[in-house]
Amino acid sequence: MNYLRPKNLTELTRTLSDASAATQFVAGGTDVLVESRQPYFSKPQTLIDLSRVDELKSISETNGLIRIGAMATHSEIIAQPLIQRQAPLLAQACAEIGSQQIRNRGTLGGNICNASPCADTVPPLLALDAQVEVLNEQGLRRVAMQEFFVKPYQTVLQKNEVLTAVYFPPLPDGYGSAFYKLGRRKALAISRINMAAVLKTNHHGIIEEVRLAPGSVFPVWKRVAAAERFLTGKKITDQNFMQAGQITAQEMIKISGRRWSTPYKEPVVAALVKRVLLMAAGLEEQ
Amino acid sequence: MSSFNIIGKREPRVDALGKVTGAAKYADDYNLPHQLHGAVKYAEYPHAEILSIDTSEAEKVPGVEAVLTYKDVPGANHFGLIPNIRILADDHTRYLGDVVAVVAAVDRRTAQKAADLIKVKYRELLAVFDPEEALEENAPVIHEGGNEIVHHKVRKGDVAAGFEEADFIIEKTFKTQPIEHAYLEPEAALVYPDEHDGFTVIGCMQNFYTSHKVIAAALGLPLNKVQIIQSTMGGSFGGKDEAATLVAVRAALLAQKTGRPVKMLSTREDSIRQSYKRHAYKLYYKWGCKKDGTIAAMEIKAVADGGAYASMSPFVTWRSVVQATGPYYCPNVKTDVYAAYTNNNFTGAMRGFGSPQVNFAIESMMDELAERVGVSPLQIRLRNAFEDGAETATGQKLTHRVSLKEVLIKAAEASDFERKWREYRSEANRTKTFPKGIGLSCAYRGVSLGAEGVDAASAVVYVQPDGSVTVSAGIIDMGQGARTVMAQIVAEVLGIPLQRIHFLEPDSGRVADSGPTVASRGTIMGGGAAKIAAENVREIMKHTAAVVYSVSPAHLGFRDGKVWDDNGKSSRPLCTFEELTAACYARGKPLFASGVRHVAETNWDEETGQGNAYFTFVYGANVAEVQVDSATGQTELLNFVSVHDVGRAINKATVEGQIYGGVAMGAGYGMMEEFIQENGEAKTINFDEYYILTAMDVPKMKAVIVENPDEHGPFGAKSVGEPAVEMAAPAVTNAIYNATGRRVQNLPANLEEVRLGQKLRRNVQRASVACKIEPK
Ligand SMILES: Cc1cc2nc3c(=O)[nH]c(=O)nc-3n(C[C@H](O)[C@H](O)[C@H](O)COP(=O)(O)OP(=O)(O)OC[C@H]3O[C@@H](n4cnc5c(N)ncnc54)[C@H](O)[C@@H]3O)c2cc1C
Repeated sequence: MNYLRPKNLTELTRTLSDASAATQFVAGGTDVLVESRQPYFSKPQTLIDLSRVDELKSISETNGLIRIGAMATHSEIIAQPLIQRQAPLLAQACAEIGSQQIRNRGTLGGNICNASPCADTVPPLLALDAQVEVLNEQGLRRVAMQEFFVKPYQTVLQKNEVLTAVYFPPLPDGYGSAFYKLGRRKALAISRINMAAVLKTNHHGIIEEVRLAPGSVFPVWKRVAAAERFLTGKKITDQNFMQAGQITAQEMIKISGRRWSTPYKEPVVAALVKRVLLMAAGLEEQ
Repeated sequence: MSSFNIIGKREPRVDALGKVTGAAKYADDYNLPHQLHGAVKYAEYPHAEILSIDTSEAEKVPGVEAVLTYKDVPGANHFGLIPNIRILADDHTRYLGDVVAVVAAVDRRTAQKAADLIKVKYRELLAVFDPEEALEENAPVIHEGGNEIVHHKVRKGDVAAGFEEADFIIEKTFKTQPIEHAYLEPEAALVYPDEHDGFTVIGCMQNFYTSHKVIAAALGLPLNKVQIIQSTMGGSFGGKDEAATLVAVRAALLAQKTGRPVKMLSTREDSIRQSYKRHAYKLYYKWGCKKDGTIAAMEIKAVADGGAYASMSPFVTWRSVVQATGPYYCPNVKTDVYAAYTNNNFTGAMRGFGSPQVNFAIESMMDELAERVGVSPLQIRLRNAFEDGAETATGQKLTHRVSLKEVLIKAAEASDFERKWREYRSEANRTKTFPKGIGLSCAYRGVSLGAEGVDAASAVVYVQPDGSVTVSAGIIDMGQGARTVMAQIVAEVLGIPLQRIHFLEPDSGRVADSGPTVASRGTIMGGGAAKIAAENVREIMKHTAAVVYSVSPAHLGFRDGKVWDDNGKSSRPLCTFEELTAACYARGKPLFASGVRHVAETNWDEETGQGNAYFTFVYGANVAEVQVDSATGQTELLNFVSVHDVGRAINKATVEGQIYGGVAMGAGYGMMEEFIQENGEAKTINFDEYYILTAMDVPKMKAVIVENPDEHGPFGAKSVGEPAVEMAAPAVTNAIYNATGRRVQNLPANLEEVRLGQKLRRNVQRASVACKIEPK
């Protein structure tokens, strides 16, 4: 097995030319190392360790967009005042991942590229209208988050492509946001369901814009357009939020059918949509 | 109030420093030059006949030194209470953790590669995964003689008359799940041939006297040719009995075959796949009750899933049958507890040992009764609780201090139970999205083995010529603090500081067979033996002192590192402990003595289930306070109060440690732990899927220690290890009821259970053909 550790972006670009199906990138390794012990894991020929490419680590704001390098760890994101202020829902999601040790090693890029249906940073990024930046030998391209996922555990990335950064506009003043995670315990629990929302209302309490992104609900990540349409122009009320929840649950059943977990997920997805919207609106759940 | 020097003090653990610095050596930390590594070949069907085993390809792998099947076992290949556990599967496989062959090779990877090349031909047999189906007439037979492992009974009074007399009947069915012990350190052993045609085994066996016998018998050697050295243990909770013996004996067989040291190590996945679990129970409870809240009759049936082998099922279910009616008066009782073989993982000892299952049912029933009568859970328990002199369901008259009411009242006071219980059952609370709830439970528990086994323990105390002391005992420390407690007892008797005492690793050649470190008997039995041994040494010292200082031995006291003449009104120091030690050795009096602790008589009639089951009992009460998310079913533990009468706390900090750990484990049983198998295949084989509480999930805990010294224990000490865990789950589920008005009857109270009142399972085709049997 080859082990490559490019020291900068130029070196990384060079390694990409030889990349094949048997190449595996390693960021923090918190997914890769666990998987490598599974019986179905096919051993890569080449490992490309991204940990020395400093260009992939920074978090900054340029041209009205926030950029988070793919190699930024969850702990680094949580600690960034810029993210706490301008994208608090992402900081909240990172804070609920695994445990301190996992957050210190695990990266945003790894979380996205692993493409697990329950990845905790994806709903906030969808709700933030994020784009990802992809590097290949030809150079950089951007892909909208919504188009990045093909199916569970598969993204549009080709073998010779690497994720370099995530971009999104900071939440403007007057936008509320929230992230909610439901797990089987308070730490070290993958999400049973997770949920992110961004909400803008006018001073009459009418919803002007809403973005709703649930996790572990659809086979391929997406926002809930039907629920967003329903809510736009409506008042923020428990009832409207509940109805948005029911629309989401129906959408889930329409796409995935009724499964063994549906008796639980149907009511709970609906309730959590309501919950995350109330949180984004800054309201208490009674 | 007490005149003790060290007993009752919060002495730090004598082994704490080694554990935090890493100096402590666990089984896998031992290595030897030229050592080989073992690997196993697992069964490929949960129930099959083995037609042939072809090891030829495995033997050809470079680096492989031995491949063994059952045919290569020189001695006994079977062991167990009912000796049907196979070291290596012979004619049949009975669960997917069975091992068909073992390999020793120069490294683990080579050994595993070779094991994977072993080819086994099977004839698949019908399998059965449900103990009630296993007891049906046409069920596939797992062991000769049928699938019923045991049937225990208790018969008292006349239940039919009792139900006749009753004003109303409460009838409910409960289910409990199998759970994994989840010890931090998976099983491991290093076995090496010694210079005298024997073998030394270093390992983490909870019950190393049994391991000793099994290994010697398998190797075809006398016991004195096999030496067991107990390494520092990273937890056990009842789990490292047969499971750890299996790992050690397989290593021993490979060491014998190759003549080289062999290390056998379970990964977490191996450990969970192979090892036994806590029994799943189905419990049918029927109580005939009166309007005043008393109970006229109890009819109880319980069926335990014993899995592939008998293991401790006969004893586990015996404790269940003795304690199935709880610490409550009831004149008419009929209890039947069964254990049945299935093709699931076998089940055996786990902290609690047959009590957590019945306690869940009893304490849920008690709350139902309170609801029906219209009194609080505390009031209903006080109305029915055993008092001094009470007679149990097995006809045993309780002659010790029965402190059930005391612990109940203390638990209620410490948690503000009555007020909160009233507040939380209001409509105003229950209709909230996040209702709160508070729940009470209590239990009594027979101490030590009881009439289920021979009960004796030994210890050896050796005061060395410089006055430092070594203690050896047959009771082991798996993290519960046995070394500290026994060292404190010896220090108290000899009147010297704890630092002068060193606790030796248990060793099969050093101390007589003391039975297993189970059944919360470590302090009462092992500590009792250490106390007697120390007193025997002190006797020798007293006689020497009497001669040297011309005082009466009856007036000698040992305190503060000195020997005192406590004659009449005045006390005067005669010499230091060291000086007296030197004087003893100078006169040819070596200071070495053993102590053996026997217990009071117990007895039992198998047919009627009547008798003095245990020589004494302990009492405890728990209160859990929760907040339920009614939208998701998520339950958050807010506060926990755990009150235990331990007789005497030898070390308050160690007792609290047991209580805190017990609450975490018991609440996990109540809320999330579940070992899931699909058609006998273990699905939750590591801690990413097998959930236990994390530090974040553990509530604020308050431990309250009650002390009513018992004549049977050293300085009055009884036990706390298992009491701490056995009643936490129903406190949690009773709290959920208080919050929601809905009763959890199937453990664990996970998201689906609390939200929907049922468990959800992935749809799997059931492989069990037994399910096609027409129910009668
Ligand atoms: C104990 C534990 C708890 C966990 N808890 C959670 C949790 O609560 N929530 C959650 O969402 N996740 C959780 N995870 C999963 C994991 O920690 C996260 O997904 C983490 O963000 C992955 O990042 P990483 O840097 O470790 O990724 P890696 O393991 O290094 O990589 C993951 C995958 O992404 C690919 N990859 C990584 N970086 C790039 C890149 N820049 N370009 C292209 N491909 C790339 C890798 O090839 C690999 O396929 C947990 C994991 C563990 C072990």
